Amino acid sequence: MKRREFLKTTAATGTLLFIPSLPLGRSNTVQFSNPDFEKLAEAALTSARTMGATYADIRIARYRTQSISTREKRVLNVSDSESYGFGIRVIVRGTWGFAASQVVTQEEIVKVAKQAVAIATINSKLQKQPLTLAPVQSYKTSWSTPIKKNPFDVPLQDKVEKLLGINEEALKVRGVTFCSSSAAFVNEHKFFASTEGSMIEQDLHRCEPSFTVTSVNRELGSFQTRNSYAEPQGMGYEYFEEYPWLEDVRQAGEDVMEKHKARSVEPGKRDLILHPSNLWLTIHESVGHPTELDRALGMEANYAGTSFLTLDKRGTFKFGSDIVNFVADKTQKNGLATSGYDDDGVKTTEWHLVRNGVFIDYQTTREQAHILGKKASDGTCYAQSWNAVPFQRMPNVSLQPGPKPLGISDLIADTDDAILIKGRGSYSIDHQRYNFQFGGQAYYEVKKGKITGMLKDVAYQARTPDFWNACDAIGGAEEYYLGGSFNDGKGEPGQSNAVSHGCCPSRFRSINILNTARTV
Amino acid sequence: MHTEQEAQQIVTRIVSLSKADNVEVNLGGGTTSHLRFANNSPSTSGSVSNATISIRSTFGRQSGTVGLNQTDDASLREGVRRSEELARLSPEDPEFMPPLGLQRYEEVNSFDKTMADNGPEFMADAAAECIQQAVKRNLLATGFLQSNAGWSALGNSRGLFGYHRTTSMYFSETVRTPEGDGSGWVSAASHKTADFRFQELAKVAVDKAALSRNPKPLPPGKYVTILEPSCVADLLQGMVFSLNARSADEGRSFFSRREGGNKLGEKLFPENVTIYTDPNDPLAPGSRWGADGLPQRRIEWVKEGMLANLNYSRYWAEKQGTTPTPGGSNLILRGGDGSLEDMIRSTKQGVLVTSIWYIRSVDPRSLLLTGLTRDGVFWIENGKIDHPVNNFRWNDSPISVLKNIDAMSKSARVPPRESRSPNVVVPALRVKEFNFSSVSEAV
Repeated sequence: MKRREFLKTTAATGTLLFIPSLPLGRSNTVQFSNPDFEKLAEAALTSARTMGATYADIRIARYRTQSISTREKRVLNVSDSESYGFGIRVIVRGTWGFAASQVVTQEEIVKVAKQAVAIATINSKLQKQPLTLAPVQSYKTSWSTPIKKNPFDVPLQDKVEKLLGINEEALKVRGVTFCSSSAAFVNEHKFFASTEGSMIEQDLHRCEPSFTVTSVNRELGSFQTRNSYAEPQGMGYEYFEEYPWLEDVRQAGEDVMEKHKARSVEPGKRDLILHPSNLWLTIHESVGHPTELDRALGMEANYAGTSFLTLDKRGTFKFGSDIVNFVADKTQKNGLATSGYDDDGVKTTEWHLVRNGVFIDYQTTREQAHILGKKASDGTCYAQSWNAVPFQRMPNVSLQPGPKPLGISDLIADTDDAILIKGRGSYSIDHQRYNFQFGGQAYYEVKKGKITGMLKDVAYQARTPDFWNACDAIGGAEEYYLGGSFNDGKGEPGQSNAVSHGCCPSRFRSINILNTARTV
Repeated sequence: MHTEQEAQQIVTRIVSLSKADNVEVNLGGGTTSHLRFANNSPSTSGSVSNATISIRSTFGRQSGTVGLNQTDDASLREGVRRSEELARLSPEDPEFMPPLGLQRYEEVNSFDKTMADNGPEFMADAAAECIQQAVKRNLLATGFLQSNAGWSALGNSRGLFGYHRTTSMYFSETVRTPEGDGSGWVSAASHKTADFRFQELAKVAVDKAALSRNPKPLPPGKYVTILEPSCVADLLQGMVFSLNARSADEGRSFFSRREGGNKLGEKLFPENVTIYTDPNDPLAPGSRWGADGLPQRRIEWVKEGMLANLNYSRYWAEKQGTTPTPGGSNLILRGGDGSLEDMIRSTKQGVLVTSIWYIRSVDPRSLLLTGLTRDGVFWIENGKIDHPVNNFRWNDSPISVLKNIDAMSKSARVPPRESRSPNVVVPALRVKEFNFSSVSEAV
């Protein structure tokens, strides 16, 4: 059964109430994939309004995930899951309310709309800062991730063969003991409608393939691992097909063998050359999160934390060196956070967070824009599922390439004494995003312009503004690389957001290096 | 909330639709409600009802799993068909274990009707108490309350069936000074409404926030440290997740022996360290079954300092000639007799840590973790809290922490700050040294 047919068979079958028509956007030409969407949305919005909501929206959404995991010659798990339901968000007396259910019928939608209004009404008695939403244009439209090949149309055997082939290649390297590999494909299909007059259907895709190679050396009492440098992408199956898996896994096998014998690092201040496969996560934690306005306002103080980038720093704070520029972009090609519209129904866009080293802007939603005097939201509202409350989530945040061609080999040749780090490793940062510590997958010593061998037991620790002000070289666009996280956590209840970070190889002067080896 | 009968009907229907050699069903659902507040005002809130079904079909040694959240007959039929299609496309699993037959599951009482009946008014009243106390002290309250009334069930084509109802509630609150120079925190978790005394909980957070204003600098280093129970819960989870027999036997775990095999039977910690799981623990009852549907039972992971058990899957247990373990649904570190206050009184000099945060593995060979302190770090001098100090990044291993224990308070049910698992019972610990590796200027 095709997905569209499945949608029909499991769609709502309630008797329609009399519902007045919604004011719609300029385009009325879009046909939504489920003919019931518009009627169900009208039921939700009209019910909420009738009961006193000054704003309401509904998302009817289906999330499909296929995941396959393997180790050596064995398939550990093949799983295909779907979650379907709707969530209704309302504002009553300047206060949010939300309710959701997996029973997608008109009767249930009306009941749940009432529940959302009741919750908002009760909590409004405590409200001290009534909500103000920035204006938004209404749309009747659809948007899809521009994939070349739908992973859900690819036979399972192809995926399994590919993963087992990766494991087999790793195990050819003498001394490699284990290899596990996995792939996850996600399709997020959602219909959004709001009392602002919008009806937006979106079909988003993302994928996360990966592997881990392990070598156990009992003589040395050591085990070493190296993960793939592949990154999750806002792409279809084409990424899984195009990535050079065998090359990466062979190198990973050689890396784990060399890591056993690598010299344990001397702690102290050293220059760092960070490969983009390592740097993207540092950007995520030290730039993406502190520029979230809800954190700066204290809204996330009980869980994710606040931000050292307080409102008084906007426009003046020297975040990094003059060559450092960060752009937030919900429209970025292949970005995990890329979509046509956010979960406030705002058309997505791009904007600078840091320009020429100066912190200039935050990430906002409709309820936050007015706090900064902005006329419109930046379009960063997102909920992980139909059953989760939409709130401010990180867009793709990327370090802009340097103006001239400059590759990692040029950076190495230009450096006297440094450590080169590749791959995502251990990561931790404080609740205001000052003090961070990152590891990696592979560490190399650079002496007098050349790589002289691998190191191990390396982590770097820094204070965010010190680190970005120590950046003295950023590679050119020819080595631009898009890393990303499939599961960035924030919010209460905790929600996951997928987000990408682009960057080029970059150099940082005099950073604190730790030796992480311990005898316990 | 599906009743036992309704859950059984779904299992029976799926089994009747199945053409596979075996079909296994895991299902669950319920209603989860929450309220967030920030800066002394409500922010978001909601209520969600859901039901999820996982269907695993097997032909011989081939398996496929499908997850869905629709319980109508067409969806169940499609789910069964799709899981069978996936199973037939999957390669044979050399480690396949046949589904369990009928099991005897002990009753576990973790359902509180009062909690199941609590409405949004209950949450609003709790938030009002927190906000009121903060406003009175000119402080800012930010917090979260989440309540769940749920059910879970499992069954298969070999006659296995189990059903379990639970309630659980989680509360935490961070209180900050308007100037941003102090912060306090409190948390609680239980399956019973009566365990939440919001007036007392809110007082802990506001008192800590007030006490933590203007922290004095303290350089990084190794200090005698008192870790409040929440910190111990986080650190202990970091270790217990690694108690996997297969990883140990394969040589890729702290619990591996260099010459092969694992460290079972080795004395790793002092005599006073006993860590176990017990589904019928009076403070934090767990669940009736664990991995693969194995009945939960009391298992001592560490007994009087000795590594007494590791987690064995059914396959690995069969291969190694031992008994499989259900995994455990709660975690208990047996405590001492005194209170946290007693521990402070008997400390000449040291650091008191309220909570730890952003904890990540740095090296699985030594179980080295890194993380930060948060929302209240204090210097103890001559048995008293003398003054607040700055936050730290720390790099240390739960193995070292357990080896360095020199005092334990009574155990209490407390959620780890990161995972918020509701079923952890641990004491506060005083350790001879804890490695604070750098200062964090975050407050």
